[in-house]
Amino acid sequence: MSASAVFVLDLKGKVLICRNYKGDVDMSEIDHFFTLLMQQEEEGLVCPVMSHGNVHFLWIKHSNLYLVATTNKNSNASLVYAFLYKLVEVFTEYFKELEEESIQDNFVVVYELLDELMDFGFPQTTDSKILQEYITQKGNKLEVAKTKVPTTVTNAVSWRSEGIKYKKNEVFIDVIESINVLVNANGSVMSSDIVGSIKLKTMLSGMPELRLGLNDRMLFALTGRKNQTILHCLSDELMKRISPTNVKPLIWIESVIEKFSHSRVEIMYMKTDLIQSLSFSLFQAKGQFKKQSVANNVEIRVPVPSDADSPKFKTSTGHAKYVPEKNLVVWSIKSFPGGKEFLMRAHFGLPSVENHELEGRPPITVKFEIPYFTVSGIQVRYMKIIEKSGYQALPWVRYITQSGDYQLRTNS
Amino acid sequence: MPYFGSEETVKELKRALSNPNVQADRLRYKNYITKVIRYMTQGLDVSALFMDMVKASAKVDIVQKKLVYLYMCTYASDKPDLALLAINTFRKDCADPNPMVRGLALRNMCNFRMPGMTEYIEQPIVAGLRDKASYVRRVAVLGCAKMHSLQPNTEIDGIIVNELYALLRDPDPVVVVNCLRALEEILKDEGGVVINKPIAHHLLNRMKDLDSWAQSEVLTFLLRYHPRSDDELFDVLSLLHAFLQSAHAHVAVATLRLFLHLASAHPAVQADALLCTSAPLLATCGAASRELRFTGLCHVQQVMRSQPGLFGTHYKCFFCGYSEPTYIKFRKMEILVELVNDENVALVLEELRSYCTDVSPELAQAAIAAIGRIARTYSEKCLDILTGLLALKQDHITSAVIQTFRDLVWFCPQSTAAVCQTVEACVDSPQDSEGKQTLLWLLGEHGEQISSAPYVMEGYIDGLKTELSSAVKMELLTTAVKTFLCRPAETQDMLGRLLHYCIEEESDVCVRDRALLYYRLLQRGVEETRKVVTGPKSDPSMSVLTGRQEEPISQWASTFNTLGLLSGRDLCLQTAVISAADQPSNSTGKELLPDVTLSSPNDTEEEISLSLGPPLSHETFEKMWLDLEILHRQTLGSPRPRTAPDTLQAALQLVKIQTLAFTPGDTVLWKAYIYTRSTGTLILAELLQGDPQAPGSDESLVVSVKQQPVNQHAIRGFASILKSVLQTLNVDSS
Repeated sequence: MSASAVFVLDLKGKVLICRNYKGDVDMSEIDHFFTLLMQQEEEGLVCPVMSHGNVHFLWIKHSNLYLVATTNKNSNASLVYAFLYKLVEVFTEYFKELEEESIQDNFVVVYELLDELMDFGFPQTTDSKILQEYITQKGNKLEVAKTKVPTTVTNAVSWRSEGIKYKKNEVFIDVIESINVLVNANGSVMSSDIVGSIKLKTMLSGMPELRLGLNDRMLFALTGRKNQTILHCLSDELMKRISPTNVKPLIWIESVIEKFSHSRVEIMYMKTDLIQSLSFSLFQAKGQFKKQSVANNVEIRVPVPSDADSPKFKTSTGHAKYVPEKNLVVWSIKSFPGGKEFLMRAHFGLPSVENHELEGRPPITVKFEIPYFTVSGIQVRYMKIIEKSGYQALPWVRYITQSGDYQLRTNS
Repeated sequence: MPYFGSEETVKELKRALSNPNVQADRLRYKNYITKVIRYMTQGLDVSALFMDMVKASAKVDIVQKKLVYLYMCTYASDKPDLALLAINTFRKDCADPNPMVRGLALRNMCNFRMPGMTEYIEQPIVAGLRDKASYVRRVAVLGCAKMHSLQPNTEIDGIIVNELYALLRDPDPVVVVNCLRALEEILKDEGGVVINKPIAHHLLNRMKDLDSWAQSEVLTFLLRYHPRSDDELFDVLSLLHAFLQSAHAHVAVATLRLFLHLASAHPAVQADALLCTSAPLLATCGAASRELRFTGLCHVQQVMRSQPGLFGTHYKCFFCGYSEPTYIKFRKMEILVELVNDENVALVLEELRSYCTDVSPELAQAAIAAIGRIARTYSEKCLDILTGLLALKQDHITSAVIQTFRDLVWFCPQSTAAVCQTVEACVDSPQDSEGKQTLLWLLGEHGEQISSAPYVMEGYIDGLKTELSSAVKMELLTTAVKTFLCRPAETQDMLGRLLHYCIEEESDVCVRDRALLYYRLLQRGVEETRKVVTGPKSDPSMSVLTGRQEEPISQWASTFNTLGLLSGRDLCLQTAVISAADQPSNSTGKELLPDVTLSSPNDTEEEISLSLGPPLSHETFEKMWLDLEILHRQTLGSPRPRTAPDTLQAALQLVKIQTLAFTPGDTVLWKAYIYTRSTGTLILAELLQGDPQAPGSDESLVVSVKQQPVNQHAIRGFASILKSVLQTLNVDSS
């Protein structure tokens, strides 16, 4: 691993906060980071690893911050990135939003966290739940008697405190399948896959071992082993797998764009006419999942040219909204029953003087959520808790299918 | 940060901190300390307050302590004499009943990077190692490493090392891993921490208690351990099998690396491990964070070097998303090019075609180049697409397509006719200098097949005055001369004008010299010129060197899961060259065959032994080949063996000569590149048959040898071994 130092920079490359862990890389090396980054951005060849001399910068960007780790060794890159993202995760859990302001407002806590998360370039205590037991935001309140070390820090099992007790022992199991679909402009499905994950929120007493049985077909795909998978009893994302099977796109969208460009009547006429060349879009969305299932909170985001104006919409259900700052039309449908078809008709004015600057044509993206439904047919068959005291626990299973990276390309 | 008067601010703070009223009020006191730290964070020099801060550290509040400690660590190296005053407070805190305070004090004390610290921190560290709270032990263990890094050249303290080895049995998993980390740092010069059988087994049993960071690192440390027997090996592997599918990508990849390393003698196990990890790797390629996605792609690329087919069915995962950054798209395209096969070629090309019209010119050009790479195998379909792109009349696209044509013509001559037709039909010419040069090169080389060549050229000659790039002018000169050779009637006039202009009016010396050269050459006669100017029009054999072929896993396993993999070739190349040059011939125990010693009949007085050693990559070979001089050239006296390529490769391997690349089939100019190692030297050689320039090569192979470092004796031995192998092969095949 060994990251020599960690920096948090603002968008102008100014160091907001930093921590020198190892002392084998000069802290002023960070000055080269931003120049290198600018240089690469100009050439259009940004890379998440940059080197200056024998110092390597590994960086990520989060909202308006750069998080940079420096090292002069051939260290494990994926580990460093994973750590930087862990930093983001922990900070976000502490400050809700991780951005320049929250770092500046909470620098005391940030220092405290940086101190505990890593020592001498090695990750130490990174679980935010455990950290929250002894680094609290109420730093301003004066507590003289805060002398207790959380047992977690001294425990044999580093990720769980001993002596946890719940009145009701329950496990909430979320089986989530995200669907990634890429459809080409001419309607052919370029790629489609499911990323399945099982998330657990456990409210179990003591130090239990949890066994989860899934239906056979999927089980093999999940673990590669015979019958069960043993989990650490921690609310955590359990596993993430891409199923190679192709799925049918669940929501299908057809769009027709009719362009009546350059319908200039007379240039002398009126100014408004000059701007108005018309463009009609007709969108049709079709749900292809099982009839009983209902997709909730469907959002279809249709990109429009940045110089479009005076939008008019007509929808058979839901409502459409023009978001000019993102150059999007968002068509949201609260509930979308399977097998139904809906229509939207959008009308825009476009300037008749064509925009000469090339614009990328972003794809149409769709967001949705279908509860009580999994595409792959995965099911949780049983759950067993093994604990010294031998209590029974209640499992709550929830199946959700949601959109992952769901893109439909438009003609350019 | 105050805009001016930072001295004022410091003075004011100093006054406040030393005010007894403030000191009495805890909250106010702490607020002032927070203020100091804030200024420090903003880059203001507040080191003048050191004394007051030392006093503040004596307070009980733990957050305040942390802040003051942080302050001291920052300024300790500037004020070593004052920092010594703080040591007493630290040592007192190290004996505090609260383990948090003990750990905190010890950690920060070890962070003082100033000379002479060792004598003060040694005793608290040793006490910390035996502390009953694991929090303190964790800190103390890393403290040992910090202490060592303060004085890197001193002798290693045997007592501490032993203590650390003993702590590997600690019940706290973080202490265990920290011990490994610390020992690794301390024993750096002796090759790092020693992993023997009991330690390895202990670590393996503790694996499931560790957090993901620790798992990843322990797996890396386990690379050092070699199981004694196959039974033990398989026990270890089956223990670790579950981690191949870990939800954390870095753990899965680290496990894979360990598998590849341990099972280097069991290719089937390696293949199985790769198959198991392909799912998590693919999941990483679709990860939410771009950087992890990027690392995933880099690893996929690495794996594909030996198992090109592994991701074949998942090629759709490598289609680019709209919002992905360019560095990911580039990698994905590289992977797509390698994954193309008969079934998916249509879809892949359709996808790549849609990138060609991307708004980013870099991306569009890369996509066109990718199609060009595929065209070497599927030329017809790709040429259709490329021709279609020309119709878009976008400058950057036209330029890139023409450049792709150049490479295509060079690598597969069978597509020349189609390319010439397209170039002729293409009306608008590229505007950038690179594109212009390429178009001119094509016109010059294949002028006889492009009927409009002279007219296009004339356009360039007429616009010569406005041309800025001297490279284009030079290319134009060459093209004009070449076209003149095949179509004199149409071009004589314009060549005259061109030469006149370049010699009389051109200010660039290089262009003028080139023009003068051609002028004088033409004075010597057309045949002389032809001999000098025309070269080969294509070299299909080059595609063997540039095209990838399956490499052994051991070639890349050592850099797998490291930074070098991501930051491009440089880091890998450096290490590869060093390892190739420095490693003694019997470096690893991986070789399956015992060293073969061959004594040739002609050279009986001495024996020479060859060995394979670690394999060389194509890039390394190419680089070394270009850097080195030919030391020895000899005719081998026997023609190229008419055996199957596999047989030849196997036969050479038997005498420890590694084949890197050779031209396929019965091409007239037959070439092969081979290398081997012998008693500390690396021998590179080229076998050549049918080269018109080398006398006597029609009948027999000519070998050219390069070597690093030079050892004539080894060359002679190598040549005689090679000779005897080829003779044997020829006898067998006839």
